Amino acid sequence: MSLFFSPDRPNANDVDLKRVYDAIVVGSGAAGGMAAHVLTSHGMKVLLLEAGKKLNINKELKSMEWPYDHPRRGDIPPDTHALNRNEYNFRARPYAKGMPYSHVYNYVEGWTGGDYSKNIVVDEKDNPYTGTNYAWVRARCLGGKTNIWGRLALRLSDYDFKGKSHDGYGEDWPISYQDLAPYYDKVDLYLGISGHKENLPYLPDSLFQRAIRLTKSEMMLRESLAKMGRVLTPYRAGVTTDGLKHNKYRSRCFGRGACERRTGGCDIHAAFDSPTGLIYPALDTGNLTIRTNATAYEVTVDPDSGKARGVAFVDTDTGKTYEARARAVVLAASTLESARLLLLSKSKTYPNGIGNSSGHVGHNFCEHLMGPGVTGIVKDLVGKPRTLDDGRPGGFYVPRFRNLKDRNPNFIRAYGFEGSSGNKMFPSSALWAKGFGSSYEKQVRDYAGAFIEMGGFGEVLARYENYVDIDPEVKDKWGIPALRFHYKFGDNEKKMAADMSAAAREMFEEAGVEIVEVNREIRTEGWSIHELGTARMGTDPKTSVLNQFQQSHDVKNLLMVDGSSHVSASCQNPTWTIMSLAWRSCDHLADLMRKGEA
Amino acid sequence: MADQDNFTRRELIQLTAAAAIAGSAAPAGFANEQAPKFFSKDEFAMVDELTELIIPNDEHSPGARAAQVAVYLDGRLAESFEDEPKYHWREGLSRINALSQAMHGRAFMQATPEQRMALLTRIASNEEKPETPEEHFFRELKGSTAHAYYTSKIGIHQEMEYKGNVLLQEFTGYEVK
Repeated sequence: MSLFFSPDRPNANDVDLKRVYDAIVVGSGAAGGMAAHVLTSHGMKVLLLEAGKKLNINKELKSMEWPYDHPRRGDIPPDTHALNRNEYNFRARPYAKGMPYSHVYNYVEGWTGGDYSKNIVVDEKDNPYTGTNYAWVRARCLGGKTNIWGRLALRLSDYDFKGKSHDGYGEDWPISYQDLAPYYDKVDLYLGISGHKENLPYLPDSLFQRAIRLTKSEMMLRESLAKMGRVLTPYRAGVTTDGLKHNKYRSRCFGRGACERRTGGCDIHAAFDSPTGLIYPALDTGNLTIRTNATAYEVTVDPDSGKARGVAFVDTDTGKTYEARARAVVLAASTLESARLLLLSKSKTYPNGIGNSSGHVGHNFCEHLMGPGVTGIVKDLVGKPRTLDDGRPGGFYVPRFRNLKDRNPNFIRAYGFEGSSGNKMFPSSALWAKGFGSSYEKQVRDYAGAFIEMGGFGEVLARYENYVDIDPEVKDKWGIPALRFHYKFGDNEKKMAADMSAAAREMFEEAGVEIVEVNREIRTEGWSIHELGTARMGTDPKTSVLNQFQQSHDVKNLLMVDGSSHVSASCQNPTWTIMSLAWRSCDHLADLMRKGEA
Repeated sequence: MADQDNFTRRELIQLTAAAAIAGSAAPAGFANEQAPKFFSKDEFAMVDELTELIIPNDEHSPGARAAQVAVYLDGRLAESFEDEPKYHWREGLSRINALSQAMHGRAFMQATPEQRMALLTRIASNEEKPETPEEHFFRELKGSTAHAYYTSKIGIHQEMEYKGNVLLQEFTGYEVK
């Protein structure tokens, strides 16, 4: 019997710590999953280390459960707590220290539906960090954050890769769009992506599957924006809308709408997640071994050759430590965790941490700022019969429009908007309509389908002064020194944010949308969950950590294939770029190893 | 609604498999027990009446009482880890009784329907910028009532006639050309 859709995880090989693997991959999210896929497809024997637990994700997510079938309508249990905005801004670090709750989670778990993803994210009590304000969202389990990601899958362009050539700031990437385009294509075809072709030089099209559709108000806004020379395009979702014949673990999308309703998670795996998209197929090659509950704390070094020898890790259940060895080490533990790992890996050979002769590890840390946005009402849709508007994996995207041909006098770089509209399971009008009684109920009904909203994602400049290092005192539950943040938004971000909220208002007003609320405030650092930089690529080993193949300048058999390698943040969401770069670099690594050059 | 006949046999097998997994650990909802868990019987009656005044049964659909909004709120408060919300609700209800005494010379539940309505109108009059403790309590009361009602079976299906959370052969909406 052959079933197209088989959500069960194939059996993994048992880890053998006596052998020398071809490669160790640290982390199993977008980057680690891709590294495992590409390296095993080249016939290499790969050991994947995941800090988190084995989790039957389908038992966690329950995408189609109705709120009233959950005892707390999706909220986390009463003795647990999700950090809120005020706590991130005013509470002393480590944030969860001294809190009386049995578990403390990041802010996302405070949203309705947090109960479905609470076992995917880390307990802040076990995983402290210090320094400046930062809302750091971490997921530890097979697949990491890809189990709950927002799925907006965008390409970068040479406006991003060659940002310095365009405006003089920062550094250009050591690659151009042409170098990466074939790998974006591979990722599109292997994982599936939904979208509509727009032929924009600053937001290159992917090889799209069936696009999602727009609501009436989104169509109206699209037409209005076109008159301003701007674009509204259907959400470019990392979701297979037509299905993937080569992947038996994933179904095509059936527009159940759970994506927009709650904190992530697709239990039919139409939305990309690393386990079903990359890791299970890699297991099927017979070349992959997975060790979960394995938190890496050091990249070990062969003192004679100066090469990486392997990875030391702690078993998170028993506290016992082990070393796994390999011919190459590929870090994919996330932008911040991979930097932490390099900084922790101090030896006689590498006193500043492995791969850190430049002193740039942890620096040039950047991301996307969030907060500015707008909510409005489309008058023509008030009082109209109910329509099904959330039967799709996302709403819409408005690509960047600043600093393309013009030069904004106040700030460099750009921002885009994500938005949604129309009827949702919980009516947007319910907490907006005033008064009480039947007139209140009628107002909620009449206006529920008329709401439209969008929020911006803006490029935070990569600055040497924004960095992370190792806290000299605070350690996590397993005794591994914690990360310390030295990170603040600057003048460019503040001016950009002011323009974001003004432009959002202007676009709605031009379209005749009645403004309900304009958000001007920037959210706490980290809010976008798009941490980037900390080990940037470059051509100069004095000012960069990695070469264009994400290979350490100092240590030839050490790669970092996650967001840590990004030179600038761009304003486009990073996941598709992370995976395309990882594919390219792992192809290169396999080639080097065949030739005996790594 | 999706037309089930349009699904291919293979797709139905996949989806049935997914649904079986999704449904295997469904938690039980709160049973509608006789005695409230947090509120006293008098307090519960008051919350039940207040929530029903905010979202009443009308010609369009049943209201907060039928949706057991007070039962849900009582359950959440009973299991609350913090004492603060418990204190606020108790305090809020006693303030409403005090205000009812001041306005009508009797406790809220002893007041006439017109008198109850007059009290609610008064504490709701400053909704956007509440100042008095009673006005603040109205916001809490209304927000909680709205959340509980619009996530209830009646709220989602009868009141809002929500059409989503179904399997669709094709996405809804307008195709971009």
